[in-house]
This record gives sequence, structure tokens and C-alpha cells, in this order.
Amino acid sequence: MAAFSQAQPLIQAGAPARKHFAGVWVTAREAFWIALDALRTHKLRSFLTLLGLVISTFTLILVMSVVNGMNLYIATHIANLGANVFIVHQFQWAQGDEEWLKARRRNRPIRMDDYEFLKENIHDYKMIGADSWMGNPPDIRYKGHNIEDTGMTGVTPSMINIGQAEVESGRFISESDYSHSAAVCFIGQDLVNAFFPNVDPIGKEITVGGQPFLVVGVAKKIGTTFGQSQDNFLQIPLTTFAKVFVARPQLAVSVQAWNGTQMPELEDEVRALMRARRHVPYKETDTFGINGADTIMSAWNQLTGQIFFGTIAVVAIFMVVGGIVIMNIMLASVTERTHEIGIRKSLGARRRDILTQFVVESVVMAALGGLLGLLSAAGISKLVDTLWWPSTVPTSAVVVGLGLSSFVGLFFGIYPASKASRLDPIEALRTET
Amino acid sequence: MGSQVAPFIQETYTPPDGVMIRTDNLWKTYEMGAIQVNALCGVSFQINRGEYVAIMGPSGSGKSTLMNLIGCLDTPTRGQYWLNGRLVSELSDDELAYIRNKEIGFVFQTFNLLARATALHNVELPLIYNGTPALERREKAEDALRKVDLADRMNHKPNELSGGQRQRVAVARALVNSPSIILADEPTGNLDTATGVEIMNLFDRLQQAGNTIVLVTHEHDIAARAHRIIHVRDGKVFQDERVR
Repeated sequence: MAAFSQAQPLIQAGAPARKHFAGVWVTAREAFWIALDALRTHKLRSFLTLLGLVISTFTLILVMSVVNGMNLYIATHIANLGANVFIVHQFQWAQGDEEWLKARRRNRPIRMDDYEFLKENIHDYKMIGADSWMGNPPDIRYKGHNIEDTGMTGVTPSMINIGQAEVESGRFISESDYSHSAAVCFIGQDLVNAFFPNVDPIGKEITVGGQPFLVVGVAKKIGTTFGQSQDNFLQIPLTTFAKVFVARPQLAVSVQAWNGTQMPELEDEVRALMRARRHVPYKETDTFGINGADTIMSAWNQLTGQIFFGTIAVVAIFMVVGGIVIMNIMLASVTERTHEIGIRKSLGARRRDILTQFVVESVVMAALGGLLGLLSAAGISKLVDTLWWPSTVPTSAVVVGLGLSSFVGLFFGIYPASKASRLDPIEALRTET
Repeated sequence: MGSQVAPFIQETYTPPDGVMIRTDNLWKTYEMGAIQVNALCGVSFQINRGEYVAIMGPSGSGKSTLMNLIGCLDTPTRGQYWLNGRLVSELSDDELAYIRNKEIGFVFQTFNLLARATALHNVELPLIYNGTPALERREKAEDALRKVDLADRMNHKPNELSGGQRQRVAVARALVNSPSIILADEPTGNLDTATGVEIMNLFDRLQQAGNTIVLVTHEHDIAARAHRIIHVRDGKVFQDERVR
């Protein structure tokens, strides 16, 4: 008996557990190449099979990218009114239509005297400023050239510290300009490009609604958002704005706190002052709006939440459809390759080897679909980013997109694979291909 | 020793030195609706290490069923089958797969090669299923192909090879795991006479190198190459003769 064992070892060398594991690993790797091979041989069929997953991953990732891009935009541009800034305005922004209509009837606009009042009575703030925007800008010209769609605002000198614009050359509107209602202006890059492509704009005179204005400063380039240039603006002193263009301008008053902790206190103080000034009874709601970054963010988040909900529903349906198509094609593939399964089984493939092979195949296929969706979404996202709105593919979208499609491949691949693994080797070998 | 690696394999039987196959009263019964068909009715024989045995019989004799049992593709309804000292007649599917991989090298009438894989990859397949690392696998597969004189055709796919070459790839695949027996089912059935002779010469060489060969056929001149012929008829061993 001992002699027998020595004569021919029953089992060749190798640690058992490792070998078992290695077996499945080797099968999985083999399966990976088989899968790629199968995809290569049936290009069109595979593509059609994967279309559902491609579309769903594409949709998911594109929506995530656009929302992500908008989030970044909102966070850096709109919500960032300036650090720790809130705006007192006639309306509370970002509220339902009904409230808005009610507020429209009830709230009086914020006027210059409101601004002066707040400036005098708030006991501690870092900065306060006001601006008024002209919806229908007057004709802006320089030596026969003119420019369209320029946003004109009247501002207080302090707005340079609160708003988006930064001085590139020259200066911003000064206290002196403000108190003398001087005919000066601070312009964005688009005006520089239109009027002064090769000359220094500082000291030149442009006409606004027929009135001459001296260019005293130029703003740094801001860029475009939502396809709109942010550099097509002209700012003049608020006092001049009131004198020349709009007799009683409606204001947005920007109040800046020293820091984040002072923000709520300051908001409360301003609210109390405004309510007292407007004699708002105790139980009535505000007749004005206090808009902080959080107001905008919460409205935005509500909107993106709805977008996401819609997207998830669409993506889920596509994924299930895509999964069923994969299951269908895998079932066909199992039938088509019954003979091959027989051969593999006769050579020692266990159930789990065959199972692994087909599951890996469907996962590879699904993951590839996800990858195609991801790549096309990334491409479109790039296009959207350059042409229309901000859009960047977040890492989470890549993970979710690829993970989800692979999972669909796994889930819908298990049934066909287990069917393949349970085939009887004799029957399978007998099947002609 | 064996139990360390594959705990499911019982070694309750220790063969007399040199016994490779022993069957004890093998029965195989198929249920065809209400009727029971006995494909094998109590087959018993013994094959020693290094023997070259042909199993012969007309179609319907139970020859194929017997081959499936010997090849561990199926289990008997009744009776015991000992292969290389192990009782394999009562193993589960996966355990049988393990035995097929380790102990049996199949050579089929229709070659049964994977059409899309190269000769080398076809020969590597059995090694893939016991987790042999890639380098070692390649080495062993090349070695096996060299033994059947196909070293220069390794990277050809089956459809680029002649029938004889395909069958030699199949033989290399059967050899690659150093199995206990080589089980050939009508290995020349799809070949012309000259190529058939070539393959039979290859079997002679393998037998001389110490392999145990079991050949299933219905052709007398092929069976005549073996040293012993077991005739099967109506599910029973009809005659067991030593011819050389």
C-alpha cells in the first residue's frame, strides 16, 4: 500500500486551499478573455445587447455631471455672494409661485432711504452696499460702435468688496464719485473688447443713453456661465444712476458680516430693524426678503433633488431592460455553446468554473456597456461645458455608473450561468454545434 | 495523503499493486417514461496499470454507457467502480469533475477541440481547471504537443489543421495532466485509413511509454492493436480475451 502510494502519488504537489482558490481565479481570468473574444466576434450583437446599459449609464452620468457642474457653479458664483453676505430685497428669493405673487402685491421695494437707514442703524457689520439693476439698458456707444445686452447697474463704492467684480486696471467707483453723482463708469471685459481692442480704455468717454461717461476702471475677466458672458456689464455710481436714469431705483442691499457666526445675528438684527421701520405687526410675515447663500442653496437642492428623482426612475427602468436583454443573450449564448460546455466539463471544469465563466462574461459585457455610456457621457459633458453650462464628471458618477452596470451584469448573468453550470456533460457533448 | 487535498475522496479500497480500474457488478438503468431500460446489467472486470485494452461491441450493446462510466461522466445505478484506488461510483458532480481532470484523458471521435482556441490553448484547458499557473501551464502544454510532433503547429486553430493533426492535439490534451488512463472513444472514426494508422501508432508509443489505454471501438482492425479485448453485448461482458 505504501509502495503503491510512492509509485504514483495520487495528487500532485501544491497546497490544497490555494490551488482551489487559484482554480477559480484562473478560470475567471480565462473567462475574461473568452468574454472579450465573444464580444469581438459578435460586435453588432454585443452592441445592441448593451444599448440599454449604455443609455442608462449615459443618462445617469450626464445628469450627475451637469448637476455637479451646476452645483459647483452655484456654490462658487451664485451662492457665494461674497463671503458671509446676505441681500435685503423686496422679495424672498426662491419660494413658491403663490408666495411670490402674494409678496409682489404686499411688499414695498427697498429704496435709498431704506439703505441709508440700515447703514445708520445696524450696530456692527463689516460692509454694506447697494445696487440697482436696469432691466432695459440704454444705448451704450463709443465712436459709433455700440454693444448689445449690456447689464447696467448703479452701485455704491463698497460693492467692489462684496460683488463678483475685481479691478484689473484703473479704479472702482469712489466715495467722491458717489457723493458728487459723477458721470464715471467701471466696465467689464466685453466692453473693452468691443470699444477699446487696442487702446487703454481708462480716461476715454463713452456715451450711455446719450450721456457722456468717463471710464475710470476695468474689471478682470469673469468668463461665461450658462452660456452667458459675465463680462458684459457697466457700473456707475448709484447716485448718478438715480439722477440720470431711474428716479427712484429699487435696491438690493448687500450686508456683509465679519464671519459665519455673526451671520445669523446680523440677519436677525436687520430683520428686526426692517420690521420696526415698516411697522410689521408681530404675527405678520416679513414684507421684505433676506436672502443668504443658504436660501439659494436650499432652493437649488430642492430642484436637483427633483432632477435626481426623475433620473433615477429613468435609469432604473433602462437598467432593468438592459439587464433582461443581457440575460436573454446569455441564455442564447449558453444554448449556442452547449457543446463547448460539454468539452470543458469533460476536461474537469466544475460547476463553479462554468458558472464563473458565464457570470464573468455577462459582467464584462455589462461593464463594457457602462464604460461606453461613461465615455460618451464624458464627451457630451465636455461639449456641454464648453458650449452651454458648467458640467464636470464627478468621481462618484464614474464609480456609480460602472458599479451599477457591472452589478446588473452580475444579477442578470447568474441565472443563465447557473443553467450552463448544471448541464449534464454527456448530453452537452452529444449536442452538435 | 489524498484526503489532504481532496477530502471528499474516500480511499477505503487499496488496490493490489498494478490495478488501475476495477468494476464490481455495474448496473445502469434508464427510465424511459414508464419503461426501465437496462443499459448495463452487472459488468465486472479489472484493468491493470500499463494495459492496452479495447472495449468492443455493436451499437446498443451498452458500450457507450460503459465508456461514460469509466470516464466518470456518469455514475452507475448500482455497483462499484474503483479508479486508481478510489471509489468513484458514488461521487458528486464536482468530485467527478475533479477526477476527470486528474485521472482521465479523453480522446473523442469528433476531436472536441474548442474551435476558437489555438492548439496550445486547447491543450492548456485541463491545466486551467486545476489552477496550474500560466507559465507552468504553457511549458507542460508545449511539452505535450512536442510528444505528438505538433510543436510547430502550436498557434494554429483547429480549422487550420488536418484531421490527423486535430486528433493529435486532442491526444496531447489528454496527456497533459499525466492521467491514470487515456480513454479513447472511436479515435479513428473520423479519419481516413492512413491517418487512422498514424494515430494508432501514436497510441502504441504512448502505451510503450507506460500509459494505460482504454479504447472503445467497433472496428476489429483497430481493436486488434490492443493487447486485450473486452467484448460487450446486451449490457454484459460477453468475452474478455487477451490478443497479444
